[in-house]
Amino acid sequence: MQYVVDLEYTDRHAVGRVGGKNANLGELLHSGIRVPPGFAVTVDGYLHFLEATGLGVKLHELLRDVCPDDQECLDQISGEIRRVILEAEIPQAIAAELRANYEALASKCCREDIPVAVRSSATAEDLPSASFAGQQDTYLWIQGPDEVARSMLRCWSSLFNARAISYRVINDFPHEKVHMSVGVQKMVNAKAAGVMFTLNPANGDLSQVLIEGNWGLGETVASGEVTPDQFRVDKISYEVNERHISHKHIECVPDPVGRGAREVPLDPDRQDASCLTNEEIRELARIARLIENHYGAPQDIEWAIDKDLPFPDNVFIVQARPETVWSQKKPEPLLSGKTAMDLVMQRAMQTIKFS
Amino acid sequence: MAAGRVAHLFRGALARKGGKVTPSNSFPNPSDYAANEVPAQLAGWEEMYPGHFFFGEARQEWENRHFWYLDKIHAPYPMPPLDHIFQQAWQISLSQHTTRIFCIPPAQGIAHRIVGCYQYICAVEPPPEDVIGEKAALFGARAHYPVEHYDELYHEWVERIQELGRQMKHIKVPELPRYMPDSEIFPNDFRGYTAAYELQEAFSRAVDAMYKGWQYHFNYLNLSYLYYLTFFGVAKTLFPGVSDSAVSKMVAGAEVSMFQPDAELCKLARMAHGSPSLAAVLKGDGSAADKIGLLRETPNGEAWLDQIDKIKDPWMHISAGSGWYHYEGSWLNKLDIPFGYIKNYIERLDKGERIERSLDEISAARDELVTEYRRLIKTDEDRQSFDNAYSDTRIIYKYAEDHLFWVEHWFHTLWWEKTREIGEALVKAGSLKTADDLFMFNRFEVPALIEDTVTRWALGEGVPVMPWAETAAKRRGILKAAAEWSPSPALGQTPGEVAEPFTIMLWGITTDKVTEWLKGTSVEPGDVNEIKGFASSAGTAEGVARVLSTAEEIAQLKDGEILVCPSTNPSWGPALGRVAAAVTDIGGLTSHAAIVSREYGLPAVTGTGLATKVINTGDRVRVDGDNGVVTVVERATA
Repeated sequence: MQYVVDLEYTDRHAVGRVGGKNANLGELLHSGIRVPPGFAVTVDGYLHFLEATGLGVKLHELLRDVCPDDQECLDQISGEIRRVILEAEIPQAIAAELRANYEALASKCCREDIPVAVRSSATAEDLPSASFAGQQDTYLWIQGPDEVARSMLRCWSSLFNARAISYRVINDFPHEKVHMSVGVQKMVNAKAAGVMFTLNPANGDLSQVLIEGNWGLGETVASGEVTPDQFRVDKISYEVNERHISHKHIECVPDPVGRGAREVPLDPDRQDASCLTNEEIRELARIARLIENHYGAPQDIEWAIDKDLPFPDNVFIVQARPETVWSQKKPEPLLSGKTAMDLVMQRAMQTIKFS
Repeated sequence: MAAGRVAHLFRGALARKGGKVTPSNSFPNPSDYAANEVPAQLAGWEEMYPGHFFFGEARQEWENRHFWYLDKIHAPYPMPPLDHIFQQAWQISLSQHTTRIFCIPPAQGIAHRIVGCYQYICAVEPPPEDVIGEKAALFGARAHYPVEHYDELYHEWVERIQELGRQMKHIKVPELPRYMPDSEIFPNDFRGYTAAYELQEAFSRAVDAMYKGWQYHFNYLNLSYLYYLTFFGVAKTLFPGVSDSAVSKMVAGAEVSMFQPDAELCKLARMAHGSPSLAAVLKGDGSAADKIGLLRETPNGEAWLDQIDKIKDPWMHISAGSGWYHYEGSWLNKLDIPFGYIKNYIERLDKGERIERSLDEISAARDELVTEYRRLIKTDEDRQSFDNAYSDTRIIYKYAEDHLFWVEHWFHTLWWEKTREIGEALVKAGSLKTADDLFMFNRFEVPALIEDTVTRWALGEGVPVMPWAETAAKRRGILKAAAEWSPSPALGQTPGEVAEPFTIMLWGITTDKVTEWLKGTSVEPGDVNEIKGFASSAGTAEGVARVLSTAEEIAQLKDGEILVCPSTNPSWGPALGRVAAAVTDIGGLTSHAAIVSREYGLPAVTGTGLATKVINTGDRVRVDGDNGVVTVVERATA
């Protein structure tokens, strides 16, 4: 049984095996999009963990008595489950594969203790109206096989936080049917990072790509802690039609002393400077268009620009998911079926008013 | 009138940096301004133009409630009196095509005035409601026919303008002989009139032809702009964020007459490239005249020169400037311009480069662009409306692209050749010092000048001459002084509403523009470090500026510099292949500079209004072709 698989060997059909997030990264890789290299601990690995440690039975017992309306009871059960997961011993087969893959990744990137991001990737993530996004954890700038293994346990345990449990109970979704894979990806040594939409979220204009970004890792943008720089780029002509460079006070960087990532004040030089160059903006828009074309629907994309690599090898996509607001609206005709002559007449009657 | 320009032409120019600002809510009163604000050095300017072009008491109430702005597109420089003829002609022709022919319902014509040698224009206020109703019915019945029949109509149009050009070309300009020849006495060639009458007639026929040519100029132009604006509106409705330049790219044609002169030079360069001795002469450093002398003694040289002669009419009838000013000259009398390009093309052929524009590639790129935008339209109904508006606009917009060569370049060049011939006849007759003195008299004064000349001739010997040459010299001085003056960008009331399509598309009069003018009326060009214009070709570049005022100065240009010039036309085309970016005073998204820059993939900002005044050669400038902004990063040390 294979408990760890390289992202290159996954694609969108692998959701059941590596979860939605990982399957999607594999799919992006397959369609030629630059995604940081990495691997996934599969659902089989998770199931083997539950079985080999006997935790599967124990969790079932603990969850049998859960009462979703009673917060205290929820918190208590959730805490107990997470404690037992974190304290469990990882089965030898999984630990060995995890270590081997991590070392392979490190040697591929020519860096010992290569920093990685460890993320949960649940199989139920893509169920309609069952967005689990944000209910699971991401651990940034993790170094060394032992830390990676610990982060994997924390990801697994996050399936059982109080909100996730109560959500499943209320929606009558069996706990044992939600499985979790864990993704491990080389950390982009981000000069800047952020999100982008393949439409203008303000008005649904499909001809525009809207990019938001800040210096450092993308967390400050996703969390809304800074007002990011904003760029509006034409999806077809790649003209940068609008740019707002905001005042940015913090960035998220790898912790210089400890582990993981932390927020630090931005040095004054960069506070009011654009976090992206024009060529980076255009490259992001180009990639956004490729991804959208690949999926045939507007996308919400996370990106990062690496410090160490030359352009354009430094432009990475770390996540893409379907845009949900405008894509769910039924489009109405904007020109009310007018003929060319109707439109010309309408234009001819028009005057420009001056205020 | 140049091809279409949307939105914000000389979008004001004035992001101020420490400049003086006079806040106010309206512009100077026109007649007060004309009476009190024209510098004393321009004294006598009123004598240069016909009286009906002045602000004054007789029409004051009407004038004061309109919004008048400087016409920097057709008249960026002080107006020589005879050159004013085109302006006089287009005021009538443009306006009538809107008000009396196609009847664009709420729009009226564009009126002209002159203040201190500068042309102000205004969109006349809308007509009464009942007139709008009448015009709407006529417009509905008339506005689509030219689209449906465009190919045959355009074919006839070209024949019409060509016939008129031939007439202009064949007008006979006689010299006044000491005695009329025998043929005026003896029966065989008897005409009954003399060279005196013939000279008077020559000018009058040239003027008639010019007015008629300008009637033709607008035959389909108003409609073409209106359809363009319609498609523009459609694109902006479907894609609110799409840029003006992206819409222009969708509409732009590849086979535009304005590019044919350049294509002919490419052919000549290829012909010469095939013959080493010929190529050696043409790659030399001498003048065009020297080279022609050498070519006559070079194998195949005569055949090559014959080829130039063959394409001369029409394709070398290209102004070295905009076609609007007599001093610009043309390829015909400034052969160094086309010869310079041929030299450059042969050198590029030596390096194995392709020199021709690939029409197929340009068309394919445009079609792909349109296909990609079209794919993003969300409903079939909208796609249908888009397709209809797009195909109609593409058909009729060709006119906006093609008329420019035939009228402003070919036909105007014929006019300049003919009027200069008349000027020379007047020099020989002793009335003028130089042929160009003629242009110092307006088209109503020239008949008097000719009449005085032929009268002296008729009266016999020893009759004194009027001080025409002195007047010409004085007026040159006034024009020179006027060039140093920066008049108010606008006069009168801020406009209420505008429907006139040219005002919107060609001059880009918008609320923003007017507001910017209001803010910046007293800022001096030297205080300005950032100017705005059309974002005509995407990309950014930084480099050393080279400010050139005519195509003759192109030799000064160094590779990789940023070209700053009043406007471009085929005289400048090959130069654009060597620069890092282009900035112009005049010209919109479909101007020559914009089209060529997009093809070369170099950033361009056009229609800045005053780049050539604000920027000096040697300044370090940044050109942002995505946003239409030019910034002076560092001034050249004087």
